Amino acid sequence: MKTNGGWKIYSLFLMIAFLVGGCGFKDIDKRLFAVSIGVDLAKDSSKKYLVSLKFAIPSASKEQPNDFYIVSQEADSMSEAVRILKTKVDKEIDFSHAKVIIISEEVAKSRGNAGMYYWFNRRRDIQAITWVAVGKPNAKDILKVKPKSEQVPSNSLFLALGKDGSETPYVIPTYLFDFKYRLIERGIDPILPIIEAKKDYFEINTAGLFNESKMIIHLAPEETKILNFLKSKEEKSSIKVERGKTVIVIDSQMVKAKYKIHTPKGSPPYIKVNVSVKGKLEEASRRVANSQLYQYEKAAEKTLNQEFKNVLKKMQRAGVDPMGFGLRYRSRHFNHDDWEEWKKIYPNITFKVHTKVQITDTGLIE
Amino acid sequence: MNRYFLYLVLLNMLINVIIFVPKILIEYRYEGAVMGVLIAIPLGFSLNVVFSKMISKFPEKGFPEIFSIAGKKRWFIILPFGIISLITFSSGLISLLGFVDILRRFVNPEMPYVYLLSIFLTGVLLIIQLPTDRVMYLLEIVLFLNTPLITFIIFKAFTSEFLVWDSILEVGTYLFAKPSLKAIAAASYAFSGYTNLIIFNRIIKGKLKMWNFLVILVLGLINLFTTFFIPIGFHGSDGAQEYLYPWISTADSLRLVYSPIERVIFLFLIFYMGITLMSVSVHWHVAFELIKGTYKESRKKNWAVLVIFTCCTIICAIFLNTILLNKITVHWMIVRLGLEIMIVGLFFIWARRKTA
Repeated sequence: MKTNGGWKIYSLFLMIAFLVGGCGFKDIDKRLFAVSIGVDLAKDSSKKYLVSLKFAIPSASKEQPNDFYIVSQEADSMSEAVRILKTKVDKEIDFSHAKVIIISEEVAKSRGNAGMYYWFNRRRDIQAITWVAVGKPNAKDILKVKPKSEQVPSNSLFLALGKDGSETPYVIPTYLFDFKYRLIERGIDPILPIIEAKKDYFEINTAGLFNESKMIIHLAPEETKILNFLKSKEEKSSIKVERGKTVIVIDSQMVKAKYKIHTPKGSPPYIKVNVSVKGKLEEASRRVANSQLYQYEKAAEKTLNQEFKNVLKKMQRAGVDPMGFGLRYRSRHFNHDDWEEWKKIYPNITFKVHTKVQITDTGLIE
Repeated sequence: MNRYFLYLVLLNMLINVIIFVPKILIEYRYEGAVMGVLIAIPLGFSLNVVFSKMISKFPEKGFPEIFSIAGKKRWFIILPFGIISLITFSSGLISLLGFVDILRRFVNPEMPYVYLLSIFLTGVLLIIQLPTDRVMYLLEIVLFLNTPLITFIIFKAFTSEFLVWDSILEVGTYLFAKPSLKAIAAASYAFSGYTNLIIFNRIIKGKLKMWNFLVILVLGLINLFTTFFIPIGFHGSDGAQEYLYPWISTADSLRLVYSPIERVIFLFLIFYMGITLMSVSVHWHVAFELIKGTYKESRKKNWAVLVIFTCCTIICAIFLNTILLNKITVHWMIVRLGLEIMIVGLFFIWARRKTA
């Protein structure tokens, strides 16, 4: 071949280039992996935030694989905090495994944190699929919790929020990119799960609703479940229904919610929400005959209608819109001031909820 | 169906993501990008069809061979060849710099920019010297390995529960805004892979059938929809424009729970490594061969051209930061579209006269 000599020089150059590339790289034993990040409001200090990082300690032995330690720093901004934190640890801080960001309730309820939220998005090494959650009573306490069943630091949080482990309708997990999306998008507001730290376990069954960049209200566990139904995100759940003195529990297999915004001319606008639930009877306080199931379905529909309506109205009163009704309105209207229109419409809109419940199965017992 | 032709066009559609097309389109989403895309589709497609049909009248000949019969007027060859090679070279250069910047950002930020660039550059310079058919074979292999996996990622994006169709529709409601030239130029890039035929026509045997163009039209529609609307679905009609690389951030927003690497962005970057390498190589091969066509075969001059390529790249790498590169690309797209229309027009007239 004509270019034989050239090939040799090239391959030599290529090899050198690859070798040199290794120089810029810090080995894994010179890195500290932050697994979760907590942001609190600083107390008794002129600074604004108290930033805590939870580092996993890689250990050679299998005896204590879930060792970790927490380092905190007070600072006015995230980048300042991280810069000072670097002086407190011996190794390079690596955020590429940070998968949970905990914001304390106080931070979430205060204004002017957009810069801090954006810092996470701006950093290239923090994953966009990091979960964001609100910590109660504060973020550092959440980081400190060490459940007995946990094998790797913070892993129990990852499992709970990621729904790889337990699946419950009381958790509405939110990714960082989704949180940012909802912060900035007009017509849809952020939802964050609220994690409560107990002695050595977590309790995640409520959700906080944001308006713009501030947490306004939080939903009770049952309301969180209803919101999850409305979002059609979680289907496996249980619905308690009372009819007379009998109490039955429906184990739902499929929940689908659809909504449509109607703005008829001349009459007040309303949102029609259609929910269909399919499930099986899981528990009953008395014997329920198959022929009577129909009546229980009706009772369940009535209860659910009321519950859906209550949650929707609660959100409307608080002026938050986690369902994205506003976005739906914007997307269906071609005029460019549709957002201003919607802001006038939303406080007065009425909800018409229609639920359809089907009990398809009563388990092994009739 | 001629698959080589398809590869050339497909390559440009895939490299869209690196060369700031999504960024430009999303920036003008409220100011006429939707209409711009709708205009760019027939425009880019018809340019594609006209040029490919015309050049297929000269079977197995690239521009240097076609114009070698044009006569003695050297400037007649040097001037257009110089301009075309400048455009193809800069096209490769922008995607190379853009991708190296992405790599440095996400994979190894401690590594100096120029080192990373030089690894790519070595590969590219090696490939562009190969004969045209071998470049094509390499392209085929790379596309074969990477396209199915990229398609899988795009499929995952389409089926993700975080893709909000309302946001996409919201941008769709700005359909009637006055189309923006920048958006038209950026969107038409998806179809402009045909310009590589200037050289790669050497290996295209036989006529291009209607089938080819139909496939390209469909692929182009899907491609433009994906590049433009998927980031909007993930990051919002208001929020998507805040990202420097909307598609890279979108890939980062996907989660493959049970894959070896949960973070899709790394898979995405690995697949795009090969695609970028080949895209740069194909563009530069065209530029290199065109320049070679203006003088008599001489190894010294060839080397001089390669050295100029390298120097240009390194100088640009030192002086251009990402924001500047992004700004330049916007204007470059418009220049490219203008030149493309001019070249296709001139070639059309010339070829009609020649063959009639």
